[in-house]
Amino acid sequence: MGNPIAALPVVSDLVEDDYVRSLLGGTIATLGVLALLALLFPASVAGDLADIVFSRSTAASTARLAAPIVLAGLGGIFAEKSGVINIGLEGLLIISAFTSVYVASIVGVGTAVLGVPAIWVGLLGGVVASTLLAGVFGVVCIEFEADQIIAGLAVWLIALGLAPFASTVFFGGVNTPNLGARVSWEYSAVMVAVATLASWWTLYRTAFGTHLRAAGENPRALDTVGVSVSRVRYAGVLLSGVLSGVGGSALALSIGQFVGSGQTMVQGKGFIAIVAYLFGNYNPLGTLGAGILFAGLDATQIRLQQLGYAIPDTLVQTIPYVVVVLVLALVGRTRIPAAAGEHYETEE
Amino acid sequence: MSGASDDGDSRLRVAARRVVTPFVDRTVAERVVISLAAILLSVAVGFVIVLVSGRVATCETAAWTMPLSGIGFCYDPVEVYVVLFNGALGYPFAVGDPGLFDPSWTPFNLSFGLTLSETTLLVFTGLSVAVAFRAGLFNIGTQGQLVVGALATALTVLALAPLLPASALGGAVLIIVGTLAGAVGGGVWGAVPGALKAYADANEVITTIMLNFVAANVAYVLVLEVFRAEGSSVVATEYVPEYARVTPRLFPGSSDFALTVLVAAGAAIAGLYYLLEHTAFGYDLRTSGIQATAAEYGGVNAKATTVRAMTLSGALGGVGGSVWVLMSEGRWLESVPNLGFDGITVSILAGNNPIGVLPAAFLFGLLKGGGLEIGFRTDVPTELVGVLRGLIILFVAMPEFFRMIGRRTGLGGGPSRKTGDDGTAGNGTSTDDVTDGGDTDG
Repeated sequence: MGNPIAALPVVSDLVEDDYVRSLLGGTIATLGVLALLALLFPASVAGDLADIVFSRSTAASTARLAAPIVLAGLGGIFAEKSGVINIGLEGLLIISAFTSVYVASIVGVGTAVLGVPAIWVGLLGGVVASTLLAGVFGVVCIEFEADQIIAGLAVWLIALGLAPFASTVFFGGVNTPNLGARVSWEYSAVMVAVATLASWWTLYRTAFGTHLRAAGENPRALDTVGVSVSRVRYAGVLLSGVLSGVGGSALALSIGQFVGSGQTMVQGKGFIAIVAYLFGNYNPLGTLGAGILFAGLDATQIRLQQLGYAIPDTLVQTIPYVVVVLVLALVGRTRIPAAAGEHYETEE
Repeated sequence: MSGASDDGDSRLRVAARRVVTPFVDRTVAERVVISLAAILLSVAVGFVIVLVSGRVATCETAAWTMPLSGIGFCYDPVEVYVVLFNGALGYPFAVGDPGLFDPSWTPFNLSFGLTLSETTLLVFTGLSVAVAFRAGLFNIGTQGQLVVGALATALTVLALAPLLPASALGGAVLIIVGTLAGAVGGGVWGAVPGALKAYADANEVITTIMLNFVAANVAYVLVLEVFRAEGSSVVATEYVPEYARVTPRLFPGSSDFALTVLVAAGAAIAGLYYLLEHTAFGYDLRTSGIQATAAEYGGVNAKATTVRAMTLSGALGGVGGSVWVLMSEGRWLESVPNLGFDGITVSILAGNNPIGVLPAAFLFGLLKGGGLEIGFRTDVPTELVGVLRGLIILFVAMPEFFRMIGRRTGLGGGPSRKTGDDGTAGNGTSTDDVTDGGDTDG
């Protein structure tokens, strides 16, 4: 549980890779200490905790909870690196969570389209919906020069209204009925791992990744070498839609249902995703680590409750938010791309 | 900027112009037009959404048939809007016969009371967001500041109530002290991201979002573990004494709307307008909002201004929480409505102008009151109102879209405003240059 603290001393010298490496190192060290304690004192709290942390069911629920956070976080990296701050990740998760369940139920669980089972068609549908909404956000920000923060909030609010609205229209209530089929956690884990590695590779090993980072850091330079800044930024925003779409769909399909009451089943995971990529310093691997950390805390806490430890779950869920405020306070400026949030006018 | 150009004028003319300028200033006029256009466009998009979903939903008989085509729809989009706006006012126009004024209608009805109750709350949260915006700060944390302020109010009133006589006077003291506690609670919670921004360069958008979650969770656990009312099925504090509540006089009791509070909200608007436009502090705040470095050269302590602006913003949000406790709920309750988030939408629609906050808050009050009526009277899901709210914000966020339409159709008139101030268009923190633009020379 001391992971955030373990990472703090190194936070001050924020060299990108060092930082992420320390983050991962701290996590592994903490888990190691926990395992050692559990071996020495199997009857203690540490023993119980280790049983939970290293259990299969915790791994399963961690994977399930981490998928939307990490995937949306990766999407947020692409958008923000390209110079468009996408604060509407929450909305993208909501809209894809609903659409995936809706599409899967329309196709009908048990049937397949071109050999693809309904549930995966649903996932595809969720991705399409999220990408479309991200496209609208992109047009509004890039074409019509809207304020990115406000437009992002609007995306969140629209999805927050539209998903329960559509659910009521189609299913007669803000919660959809359960599909009776779901995506198992192993698939979520694989999707997260693949997306993380692919994102890292795209950002740091391809020409497109270089263009993307240039669009956020120094759009004029990119313009000068003849690459359209708008086009690169559209790509960044659409990628955030695709990745968030996978995350939101995975979240809903891992249960087989969309829950639309209150803040919907997404419950702020899109904002935690922003936390994750900031905490991971815009590095996909760091984002993965942060996402697993936050999801793992949540999963562990749920199990602890079931074992009868009276830890107020709400306080455990508060930890990521406090960590981010502390990190921002100690580190100050996160390495936000220099031109993020600003509209870029192509030079003639 | 303004001070220098005023020297030659008579004081009266200066004063008159300062009052009038916000209303005749091109940027303000343009902003009003854009806001109205955004509302109309949202209504139009909402119309389409209702139609499309009405085509998908199943029903026995068509509620509305499209002229000429004869295609039937389950939902009647015209009726939805009639119910929305008519219902929010308590049906001044006879149902079924829109356009005919109902003589038995009185403004002091339940629906209109609910609408105005929401309006009052949104004035405070809207002002909270607006004042931060004017200082170049995007305070997404009004929600958290409201939660903290509400809890501070409830706990203070509950703690002090036994010490004071249970009379109208005692109640008045409790209300005043409780509201002050709310302002302090919200102010402190707002000062934190302000200080982090000023002295640690931490992005206030991120910190305020995070502090919202922290405030909601910590307040919840505090009430759950320490201050929970005995025997309460929900996580809530005790009710504050009846005499310490602001109770409705003219409006029905269940509307939770007291006209005095709306008057107080109006006073807050006037006070904030005066503070922003006519005091040294307001000048510092606005200049550091428009151009922080220039403000520093001009002798403004930008760091201190940032902290003060966020404190003031938080205090206003906290007072919103006080009003929620003392007027609406009578206690702190776990399910705090999203008044702070709606404050962002109000402020944006108002162009961050304190005076604009009143009509903007009233519009969202209408949507709230009318949304309830939609639920009662039509089959259309009430979540439609949430969609409309999001659409309005989306459209208000893209003024360039409307300028483009204006240029294309020639309706907008005048030369393009693309030059000059539009370097700021991509950056909402400076969406505003109301009175002291370069065009106020006499």
